[in-house]
Amino acid sequence: MSSSKADWRVVVPETVDDNQPLFFSPHEWSTIEAATARIMPTDHDPGAREAGVVRFIDRYLSGITYIYAAADGSGFLELAGKEAEAWRARIFDMRHTYRCGIRDLDASAAGRSGGLDFVSLSEPEQDAALEELSGANKPDPLSFETDTIAGAFQMGAFDEGLPFFQALLLHTRQGFYGDPVYGGNRDRVGWKVIGFPGPDSLADTISGAYSLRDSYLADYSWPELIPHLRTKEARS
Amino acid sequence: MTNSDKTTPEHADVLIVGMGASGGTAAKVLSEAGYSVVGLERGPWLTPAKHFSGDEVKFVNRNYLWADPRIAPRTLRMSEDEVAERYPFSMVPFTVGGGTTHWAGWFPRPRESDFLQRSLHGDIPGASLVDWPFRYEHLEPYLTKVEWAFGCAGLAGADKYEPFRSAGYPTAPLPPTKFGKRFYDACNRLGINGFPIPQATISEPYRGRTPTNWTGFWNTYGDPTSTRSSTLTTFIPDAVATGNLELRPECYVREVMVGPDGRATGVLYTDADGRDVVQTANVVILCLGAIESARLMLQSTSSSFPDGIGNSSGQVGRNATFHEYVFAVGLFDEPLDGWVGNYISGGSFEFYETDESRGFINGGFIGASMTGQPGNWILPGRPAWGQSAKDADREFFGRAMKIGNTVHDLPVESNRVDLDPTVKDAWGLPVARITHRSHPNDVALSRWQVNKNAEILEAAGARKTIPVYINEGHSTGNSCHQHGTARMGTDPSKSVLNEWGQSHDVDNLFVLDGSGFPTATGVNPTLTIMANAWRCAEYIDEVYARGREAEIPREHRTSSSKVGTR
Repeated sequence: MSSSKADWRVVVPETVDDNQPLFFSPHEWSTIEAATARIMPTDHDPGAREAGVVRFIDRYLSGITYIYAAADGSGFLELAGKEAEAWRARIFDMRHTYRCGIRDLDASAAGRSGGLDFVSLSEPEQDAALEELSGANKPDPLSFETDTIAGAFQMGAFDEGLPFFQALLLHTRQGFYGDPVYGGNRDRVGWKVIGFPGPDSLADTISGAYSLRDSYLADYSWPELIPHLRTKEARS
Repeated sequence: MTNSDKTTPEHADVLIVGMGASGGTAAKVLSEAGYSVVGLERGPWLTPAKHFSGDEVKFVNRNYLWADPRIAPRTLRMSEDEVAERYPFSMVPFTVGGGTTHWAGWFPRPRESDFLQRSLHGDIPGASLVDWPFRYEHLEPYLTKVEWAFGCAGLAGADKYEPFRSAGYPTAPLPPTKFGKRFYDACNRLGINGFPIPQATISEPYRGRTPTNWTGFWNTYGDPTSTRSSTLTTFIPDAVATGNLELRPECYVREVMVGPDGRATGVLYTDADGRDVVQTANVVILCLGAIESARLMLQSTSSSFPDGIGNSSGQVGRNATFHEYVFAVGLFDEPLDGWVGNYISGGSFEFYETDESRGFINGGFIGASMTGQPGNWILPGRPAWGQSAKDADREFFGRAMKIGNTVHDLPVESNRVDLDPTVKDAWGLPVARITHRSHPNDVALSRWQVNKNAEILEAAGARKTIPVYINEGHSTGNSCHQHGTARMGTDPSKSVLNEWGQSHDVDNLFVLDGSGFPTATGVNPTLTIMANAWRCAEYIDEVYARGREAEIPREHRTSSSKVGTR
């Protein structure tokens, strides 16, 4: 059978309704759950814990079953060929990154608490452990008083080769804001927090049932928006 | 053809390598002209309604469309004395339709000045400025052909600075978004000519297509509908419908083969089943994109061409330009719905031409655009984690817009694509190594234009603006635009192709993607690439294959260029 991406089969994984870890040990699961809850905390709105970000990450690391949802969300693509090999190798490396990262978090926790692991720390102590891991202070609020300047960057954030902390930040965002089909963003809480309407299903983005057409301007006139159209030069 | 003789397929009139923007265009023109065409594409042949949807994780974070960096790595360095490191530089989708499957569809025309950089600016130190071997007026009929055959949206007469156009647009502009309205209002306050950016999409029913994608899942996503124009859904089906195109996906071309007479005989490729296949043809057309076309030429060595096919000038891979995308983000008090739209809404050529008082040459074609979906919405310098991160998302996800431009970077001879000495791809061949350091003019242009973009955002009411400049040093390849690695020109010792995209060295070898651009232009290149591919394909049909003289007199003609293809 062809291994082409065009022919990858859609399968519904047996574990799709599970809430049990597919990859993490119970300790790893609770550590990542706690760490993601400090990255996207719960306040008057839900955070990473309520969104099930740890489930999203656990599924991602479980193998290559949950890499790509089928376009209509009816299942997941069964990767084949070179891409399957590449993803297997990438996930293998990322598992190692996570296992080492969790050990580092626990080591940092033990060092500051006299032997406790990361999940047993208070939230401020967990933040301190994350600061140590990241090599920087916990980020300040977005400031309107100081300048923010950045260098150009690639738009799509891929996790290839990222160190643990950077990968964890990226995966937390994906698990909080990504389509619920991947096991995070439970009940679309991530979207609700920031006011993103989001589709009811991926299928709705194909059929046109999910439409933002009403959010474009309805009442407008090009000559009003573009004064040049009212000049003789443009009319001729 | 049966399975047993798959490794020696029938000879073709024309062989096209790469089925993206330029390959799809050439395939359409030549198959409609009656030639037997074989199209080889290294990636899959996907079906939009079956394979594409609004899945941010899949398209933006897990690179469903882009080449996997473990299968097709690239390497990057700033100068010749550095060891290049792996970096996924300018990863255009490897798939039938190429870049037109993931793009936002910016579709502006180039300007007259883009073809005359040397005449206008002379010798700029550190740059290798040249004029194009043809001018805007030569391309204009083909710009119109592509706009109408491919389908696009725009408003004739709205761009105060547009050069002559022989026809208007096939469909009206898309309606403005909330952030688009802000852009127009600010432009009017500042005396800037804002106008709807021409876009490769339809806004009303057109040639059997209906615009139904109003999801906002647009830039970098595949479009499951026929709304956006891609060669996957337009030119390639047109070509297939003639019965003259045989398109073979999942075929990885390893080398262009050369006969004892120094002419191209065809290509050697590895098919989906891992078999090595030789496809012969009268004419070989490379359309892999400027990075991969240069790489294929450089690895196609023979006794006739020890430094790569068509490379007697030593210029293959050099003068590469990449259009770094720079911008400013504005944060507002009012809702702007930065996730609504078809990425762009409103742009301007107000700053495009050279103003010597700025201290640099050329300028930016700017566009207002969406900030995108929740996971990857553009907030440079965002608080990365904790309460500050959540607050920033909650407060500003719906209250942001950006104004950006791709930098009209100057060609520099040492900015180049060559073969990495150690890193190999999944087929065991050396990968493209990018050597790139920004010319000082690129850095100055970026800084001035981004500051201007921020000024427009402030006039639009932004509370805070965040400038994103070109990195001092090198490009990240973030626009996916690639040009210049096999320049067209009239002097075979200083250019790779003639004005018809035809190799100076090998008369039956053409390169019709962005490789031939002598200079980058300051506009998104795909319309220019497609129009030039159409123009050159028409030359192949009407002039080259029939043994006629070219329409534009040429000072330098290879002796064998009158050999017909059939």
